[in-house]
This record gives sequence, C-alpha cells and structure tokens, in this order.
Amino acid sequence: MLISTPTTIGDALVEISNENTLAVGGGTSIALMLKNRLIEPDRLVLLNQVPALSGIEERDAQTVRIGATTTLLQLMHSPLINSALPVLSFAASRVGNPRVRSVATVGGAIIHGDPRQDIPPVLLSLGATAHIAGRAGERDVPLAEFFIGFMESAAGEDELVTEVTVPKIAGQRTHYTRFTPGSDDDYPTVGIAVAMTLADDGSVKDARIALGGVDSTAFLATEAASLLIGNRPTDELIAAVGESAAKSANPSDDQRGSERYKRAMVDVWTRRTLAICLKG
Amino acid sequence: MNVTMTLNGRPFSAETPSESLLVDVLRLNGFTGTKEGCGVGVCGACTVLVNDVPVASCIYLAALAEGQDVWTVEGLTAKDSALLDAFVEKEGMQCGICTPGQVVSAYALGIENPKANEEEIREFMAGNLCRCTGYVTITESVRTYLASK
Repeated sequence: MLISTPTTIGDALVEISNENTLAVGGGTSIALMLKNRLIEPDRLVLLNQVPALSGIEERDAQTVRIGATTTLLQLMHSPLINSALPVLSFAASRVGNPRVRSVATVGGAIIHGDPRQDIPPVLLSLGATAHIAGRAGERDVPLAEFFIGFMESAAGEDELVTEVTVPKIAGQRTHYTRFTPGSDDDYPTVGIAVAMTLADDGSVKDARIALGGVDSTAFLATEAASLLIGNRPTDELIAAVGESAAKSANPSDDQRGSERYKRAMVDVWTRRTLAICLKG
Repeated sequence: MNVTMTLNGRPFSAETPSESLLVDVLRLNGFTGTKEGCGVGVCGACTVLVNDVPVASCIYLAALAEGQDVWTVEGLTAKDSALLDAFVEKEGMQCGICTPGQVVSAYALGIENPKANEEEIREFMAGNLCRCTGYVTITESVRTYLASK
C-alpha cells in the first residue's frame, strides 16, 4: 500500500484519482477497517498536511465554514461554533472519547457514512452543505442529498469533501439527543437532532428533525417536521410529530435494540427533544 | 515506508510497513510503555500525545505521525516528575496494564484543562478503562497531579 502526503487540495485530487485509493482525515475508522481487512486499498492519501482543508471561520455574516479536516476537538473548543452553533460543539463532545475526538474529523464523519454517527444528523438539522472538489471542478451538495446509502455518499471516488458550510440562523433553537440505553460511549440506539425557529406568535416558522441510527443513513424526517411548520406546538401536535418521525424510521434489529424498540424510542425522544427546544 | 517524527523531544525515524499503526512502531522500537489493550480505540491503554492532544495509537496510522511531535509515557514521566509522583503517592494503579494510558491522559488533561474540577476530571478520564476498577485512586492521582501544576 502506497502513502501520499499532499500539501495542497490540487495535489490531493491528483493523488486520489489513482486506482483503489482512499483519502484519510483522522483515519480512526479507516485504521479499524484496515485492521479487520474490510478494505484493502492500494494507496492512502493523507489529508492532515493540507492546510486549505482545515480551519473554522465565518464565510460571511450568514455562514460558518468548517474545513473537512477540522477535528471534533476543534469543534468543541471553537468560540465561533460555541456561540453560533452550540449544538455542534455539544454533539462533538459526546463522540467516543478524548483520544478519538482529537483525531476524528468532520469531513471523515460525513464521508464515512456510518448511520450511527452523531455529527451527520446534527449537520442535517442545521441545513449544512458539503463542498465537493474533483479534478473536473467543484460542486455543492446539500447534506440532505449527500447520504445515499450505508457508507455511500454523493462524493465520487476521485472527489474530496473539502469543507462543510452551515447557515447561521438568528433565534434558532437546537438540541441533539443521543439515546444510549447501554454504555454512554456506545453508538446511539437513536440520535435525534432538532433545529427550529419560532415566529413572534409562538408558531413554528421553520423546523428540521434529523435521525441517526435508524436507517441505512442519517436522514431528515421531513414529513414529521412539516407538521410543525405554521402551527403552534401543542402536546397533541408534538405527539403527532413523534409518531410521524417513528414511521419514517427504518431501523434494523441489532444489539442496540429491536426494530420495534428503536421505532418507539424515535417517537419518545423526538417528542422530548422538541420539548427541550421549545423550552428554549 | 520511512516515518520520521519527533519522539519524546528527540528526532526519531523508522522503517515500517505502510499500514502500520503508531502503537506497533513505538513498541517495536523499544517504547513498550504504550500498551495495546482493546485495539479499537476504546480502552485508553495505548494513549500517546500527538501535537499535545491525546491519541489512541492503536487506531492511528503511523504514517499520520510523519513530521509530528509525539510523546509517550516514557518521555512524559521523564519530563514531568510530578506525574509519576502523583500516581505513586495516591496508588493510582492495581494490575498496571492501564497505568501508562492513565498517566498520559492525566498529562493531556493538564494541558487542556489544568484547573479541571472533579466532574471534568472524571469526564476526561472516562475513556481510560481500568478493569481492576481502581477509579477512585486514579482520579485522586490525577487531581494530585493537576494540583502540582
């Protein structure tokens, strides 16, 4: 297996266009897959020496840019993320342990496409966009269209996710629930991320509900969220939203719960997460 | 491949297969303080510092360490005697297999949050497992070390 260590995005794109090649952010997942012989790439392209892929900053007054190789530890400690998108700092702080958070990257969390991870549903709820670069050019893909299957994404084999942009929305209420009935550092049985804004009259202006761990990808429960929009969130309405979210889930039986249990937990924790957001 | 890094403050270079993990490169070159426990980044026995942050060397590709500043338990305890003193004074070990990882994590906490309170110590050390369950004295050791700073 060959190792490439480019220092520019351009060089990285040349390197990843080689056959059977994988890009490596922090490599926490790739190292495990290599160890278990789940993957046998001919080449790894390490991205940790490409400065243009790192950093967190305000792209403009409405947008935060997070470079693909930003670590979860950097998300946790970024003053900008803590003030503008605190739910993202919180979710990062709940992933794995300090040794994983100091290495695992935001780009890796989305490109890996493991539906049980915490960062994808949170970014989905925040309306984030993935920026993808290839030798043919660059394109933006809303995260809602990025996850296309288990460990499959809209980024091609010879493309890189270079950054994620997240809109800053004034007055947005957010929360992420990571429900782990076993050990706290287990993958979540269900992860629920909610972002919503309220109008002056208390009705819901906008809402996104994203679910992790209960389908082959993290996804937006758009039907459930649409029930909220334009309405005042009564107990009955929230119950209907929980039920709708549960219906949209497509979980499978595993050691984190049966299909039926997970569906029930989507219902319960969607309602509770909404209640936390509404309390403000 | 050849991997070159600064290891415990000194230049270090080794020939190693490209898929090597950092823990293997360290151990095969005599730095056997770093242990491989679970092998999946969960137990903390393999903790080392890379550029001042704690890393699970059992899931960290050695190639990523190229040009980086790496510290193991050997280097950190030589650099900061208060670290071992605290673990000895509070008897923060039982069978000892997790101890190097606990010691490196304590040092890492000293960098990240030297004024950590009890809850923050427990939170930070949560991923360093001790199967003898000696957490009370480990936490006391960490607290004693932080107080020395």
